[in-house]
Order: sequence, then structure tokens, then C-alpha cells
Amino acid sequence: MTRLSMVARVALFATAAVAFVAPVMAENVIAEAEEASVSTMEAPKANWFYVRGGWGSAGSSIFDAGTGKMVGMVSTSRDSDLAIDPDGKFYYVAETMWSKVNRGTRMDFVSVYDSKSLKLITEIPTPGRLIVGGFTTNFVLSDDGKTAYDYNFDPASSVNIIDMAKRKFVRAIELPGCASLIVNPGVGFSALCADGTLATVAVKGATQEITRSAEFFDAAADPIYSNVAYDRKKKMAVLLSYTGQVRTVAMGAAPVVSAPFSIQEAGGMRAADVKPLDIAWYPGGMQPSALHRPSGTLWVLMHKGEYWSHKEGAEEIWGLDLAAKKLIKRIPVKGHPRNIEITQDDAAMIMVNGMENNATIIDSKTGEVKHEIENAGGGLISVVEPK
Amino acid sequence: MIRFNPDAAGEKLLRRLAGGTSRRGILSRLGAALVAAPVFPLLPVSRAEAAKPDRSPEAKTAFARSAQTKDDTKCDYWRYCAIDGSLCTCCGGGIHTCPAGSEPSPVSWVGSCINPDDGKAYMIAYRDCCGKPTCGQCGCDNIDRETQLYLPQLNNNIIWCFGTSSMEYHCSTAMMIGAA
Repeated sequence: MTRLSMVARVALFATAAVAFVAPVMAENVIAEAEEASVSTMEAPKANWFYVRGGWGSAGSSIFDAGTGKMVGMVSTSRDSDLAIDPDGKFYYVAETMWSKVNRGTRMDFVSVYDSKSLKLITEIPTPGRLIVGGFTTNFVLSDDGKTAYDYNFDPASSVNIIDMAKRKFVRAIELPGCASLIVNPGVGFSALCADGTLATVAVKGATQEITRSAEFFDAAADPIYSNVAYDRKKKMAVLLSYTGQVRTVAMGAAPVVSAPFSIQEAGGMRAADVKPLDIAWYPGGMQPSALHRPSGTLWVLMHKGEYWSHKEGAEEIWGLDLAAKKLIKRIPVKGHPRNIEITQDDAAMIMVNGMENNATIIDSKTGEVKHEIENAGGGLISVVEPK
Repeated sequence: MIRFNPDAAGEKLLRRLAGGTSRRGILSRLGAALVAAPVFPLLPVSRAEAAKPDRSPEAKTAFARSAQTKDDTKCDYWRYCAIDGSLCTCCGGGIHTCPAGSEPSPVSWVGSCINPDDGKAYMIAYRDCCGKPTCGQCGCDNIDRETQLYLPQLNNNIIWCFGTSSMEYHCSTAMMIGAA
């Protein structure tokens, strides 16, 4: 087709379309030519959920917990990691792309988006990262938002330090046998290790000092979920194991790990075991727990089953008062969700989602289902964390 | 708490490897393992160092109690006790064969699975086939003794397409390594 004939056909079609459509739409049409526009958003809000699509999909849809409506989307490419600037000005996405989509030159970088326009501001090249997605602890920001720690595995493990103020990769620190990064304010970061310890990396300019805690868990027999929750205000991390052993960690140069307590015992039941044929309530899912930082309540996806069912979807959500070590609420839940998060405001709204890509917003205080959202996404859920 | 850790020795080996090697060291070992692969099926746990686990009926996981040996296109096929992803047997490949146009990863995660026909445990290497879009058929996620990212050889979420020309995940195979 020549260009001229293309133009002629388009013109003909446009004329015909007006002639055909005009009578039908006559009553609703405002007879003014409109211009295409683009909306802007508010800065990240405490009652927003950022929901990843299912495995392999891109994009984190943002839902308002109050209305259940989608308000926007952050461009999070497949298997990328999202972090929200504590000051609310930026979204950071650690991601990997290739020059020819699935082949060619590999490029790893952190994309920086303006939080209101959602426009890409810049990309910060990095030497690499673990391509997995689904975890909150592979890309974490220091409490002041000035430093990012980006986990790499190739397949030796290291951590990339990125200066977010200068928007520049600084250097990589090798950290064999450890992953699941926890911010350690004023020190650097800590990480869970295969030998059952917590490694702490004190970053000092161009050097670092790596120390290990005493062994406090068995990484093979009763692992701690990689999706560790961290509370910036209390400078505390909360660890949950497959059997439901809960520990808190006071972060610092020498982090202090609390004695574990059983989530089942906190509810007046016997602790769950690692033996087969032992039916009990166990935590389960990809993102099986959510910490409501203002109230110090850990919300956990729980199911009845045997050990080694740690990814199974939930039948109930359990609310655990961490200070009192008491189970304070059990909320039955449908759809076997595998991810949970909770807004960090007084409303304390829970979102769960699962394999069906549907999400449910639940009032944690009443257990009432507030919104059910089809095709919200089945992946990791993020919220704005209090500064 | 009673500790059920049937593969303790093998896992200790993994942890020692993970905790005590530099990147260069791990690459050199990986290189050595690749060269030696036709001779020793040792990636990443050698047969000689594997444990003698308790495989009594009481010690069997729910997966092991219901696993079958006839149909390797089903999630409950015995070798798939810790697999995650699309089964290559459903994608035009085989139990240890990548579908045409894809490329096997030289490294893998592992599982220790019981063959119900002889009641013995075997070490299985789950090698991803890479370089093509996700197959999408026969999605399974079995998690016997599956751990988290800090013990990556036993974690089934990681895409193991390292050292291949493309890191795109297509499907997963379940290669026999040897008796556990």
C-alpha cells in the first residue's frame, strides 16, 4: 500500500465513522475537541497496597485500602524488586533487562521513578542482582533512604551498595552463605546465613567488618522465612520460622536475637513440630507474615497440615501480639492466599492475595472483608513503612 | 523440639561450601565440577558425603507417602519432591532432557526424594532449561526440605539459569544424581 492510499483509506474511514457513530452518541457528546492528558498521583500514602502481578508478570498495581480502587501502577519489570523512598519522593526498582529482551547484553540497574508523575528519572547501573522477585529482603533501603543494599547471586552471593543520594553504585561486598537482608541503622546491614547465624556487615567507607552472631536457628531443619519484617522506629526485625517460631532482633553492631516463642503456644496450643504425620497449624505462603509496626502485631497466614508445607495457602490469619506473646485474633480467610501485608496506619487494613490473582482487603480489627478485587495481582504486596 | 534433618551431612557440606568459599573459589569449583561432571555426578552434593537418612514410613513426608513412579508428567512423580516450575516432560522435553531450542543450566538446586518402588532416597538435581519463554505446562511447586535464599542449593524459587546464553526460564528437569 502506498502512503497516499493509506492516507486516503484512513480519511475515508474517519469520515464514515463520524457518519455512522454520530447519531447514536448525539445526546452524550460534548461538542468540544478533547486533548489527551496524563494524570499525576499523590505521594505514597499509608493506606496504599502495591501488588505485583503473578509470577512472570510485570507491574505493581496500587490499590487504595479504603476504596479498594486502583490508583496507579509502578513499572516493576519481571522479577524486579521495589523499594519506596522513606521520604515518599521516589520509587526505586532494582531490575534486570537484556538488549534483545530475553538475550543479548544483560543490564542490571535501579530505575528511579518520581512518585507523583511516575516518570523515569534515571537508571543507576549495578553489577548484577539475584533474579527471583517475590522477596522483600533482596533490595532494602537504609532508614534515611540514602543507601540501598541490593542482593546479588551469580551463583556466589554478594551485596551491592548503592548511594541513592548520588545515584551511584559504590561497591560490592562478598557475603558467602548469607542472604535475606535486614537494614542495620548506623551500622550497615545484616543477613540470615546458612549456618544458622545472623551476619552483620559494618560498612566503613571502603572497608567493612563482617561479624556473625551465635548460631540460633537450623537453616535446613526449621528455616526462617526470607521475607523478614523490619521496624524502622524500633530498629527491630521479626523472624518467623517454618514451624512458627517467632524471634525478634534488636538491630545494632551486635544484634540481639530474642529467645524464640511458638505462635501455636501463644494461642494455647502445643507447638508445631518438624515430624511428618504431625498435623498442626503452620505458617505458609511466599510472604507469610506482615508486621503492623504501630501496634507491634504480627499477622501470619496459617494453614492446617504437616511440616514441609511452608508455601501452602492460608485458611486463617492469626494476629500475634509480639510484646505479650499472645495470639489476639484468628480470622478465617478464603482463596488460600499466599501473600499478606498490612497498612501501617491506625486503620490497619490487611491485604491478602494468592494464585488466582485476586486480592482481599480485610479490616484487621473486625475481621470484616472490606473489598474483593479481581485480577489485582498474585505476587508480593508492599506498603509504605513509617519513618 | 525434635529435629528432623535426614540430610544433615549433605547439607552440612553445602553450608560449608556456601559459608567458606570466596566468589573466585566457588567459580573455580564450579568450573572443576563442570569439567568433572561426566566422571562424577557430584553437583552439588557428592554421593559419598550424603547422609543415611531415616526413611521409615514414620519419617516420610506427605509428598513421599503419596508419590508415584509411573507418570513423570504429574507433580506427584517421586523425583519432583522439591521441584518448582513447569515440568520439562510436559514441554517437549524429558525427565533429564531440555526441550528443543532450550539450554540446560550447568548448576542446579537439589532435592532428596524417596523412590516408592524401593523405599530408598535419591539425590535429584533440578536443572532449569533456559533461553525460551516459560513453558507454562504442568506447573508444580513441591517443597520437601526446601529452604530459603540463604541456603540457595535447597531453595526452589531461584532461577538457576546461570552460565547459559540466556537467563530466561523455560522449564525444569529432575536428573538423578545418585543414592542419598
